[in-house]
Amino acid sequence: MAQGSLDSNGDITCPTSTDGESSASHVNAGLDRLRINAADENDDDGAVQITCFSDLSDDLTLHFQIIRLHKQIYAWIGCNSAKFGHLYAAAPTRPNNMVSVTSLLGGASDNTGSGIARRIVLKTGLNVVLACNIPKDSPMLEAAAEKKLVRKLIDLGYT
Amino acid sequence: MDASSAPFPVRHKKLSLDIQGNKTDIVICSYDDHFLVIATQIGSMGTTLRARKEEGVSIHPTFCVSVIFGKRDEPILVACARQLIEHISNCGSSLPLVLSLGLKDHSVGTLKGVVTAVIANRLW
Repeated sequence: MAQGSLDSNGDITCPTSTDGESSASHVNAGLDRLRINAADENDDDGAVQITCFSDLSDDLTLHFQIIRLHKQIYAWIGCNSAKFGHLYAAAPTRPNNMVSVTSLLGGASDNTGSGIARRIVLKTGLNVVLACNIPKDSPMLEAAAEKKLVRKLIDLGYT
Repeated sequence: MDASSAPFPVRHKKLSLDIQGNKTDIVICSYDDHFLVIATQIGSMGTTLRARKEEGVSIHPTFCVSVIFGKRDEPILVACARQLIEHISNCGSSLPLVLSLGLKDHSVGTLKGVVTAVIANRLW
């Protein structure tokens, strides 16, 4: 792809290029102009971005809400309802960046969301606060929800 | 398959304003059984509090506010949560509140600014 420009008639003209390097640099320049590099969204000095989506599978609807702060992610997973569920906080902790998880709301007897929170921190390295109302003793549902959430986080630029 | 025909079940509002010279991002979410309010100046959720109205037969409701994550020695944060849960109750809702305050300073002016902005954009 080569950089285009408008001629006097308003038509786009593209100078041809056989040099691979200059083509790549044109592509990158175009991407920069369009700002479709996901990392740019996170460089917006402390701005908050909210992403909401739902997914229907096996007669169950999973709702996901991701609130992206500059240094933290808040996520909510709802299973067939908009109940808040249990709240967990997870973060990498010193000395060797091991992940620590704690339950903030909902007690420690039902740990459905704590595993999800822990694995998100392992994958993204960020502080995560997760609210989750997935019923207990549903490992398949928990795994499916986690998979969809992680895929979305990757789409949003977290790896 | 996406459940794209139904609206998303959680309502939310997002706003950004200047409070006492600090850029503050506020998010208010309304779940079935909770309200969530996040007010941040530091890029993270900060101290998280939970406030709820207690069951009782008295005319005047009582409220229970506690810090569930973060600074436990800042009574002004507890006061902020107390004001908001009382406002929620006065508007007719009995739902509890989860409030996250990630603020650069804990002055009275800042907390008042947060309370005013949240009430002006409330979802209850």
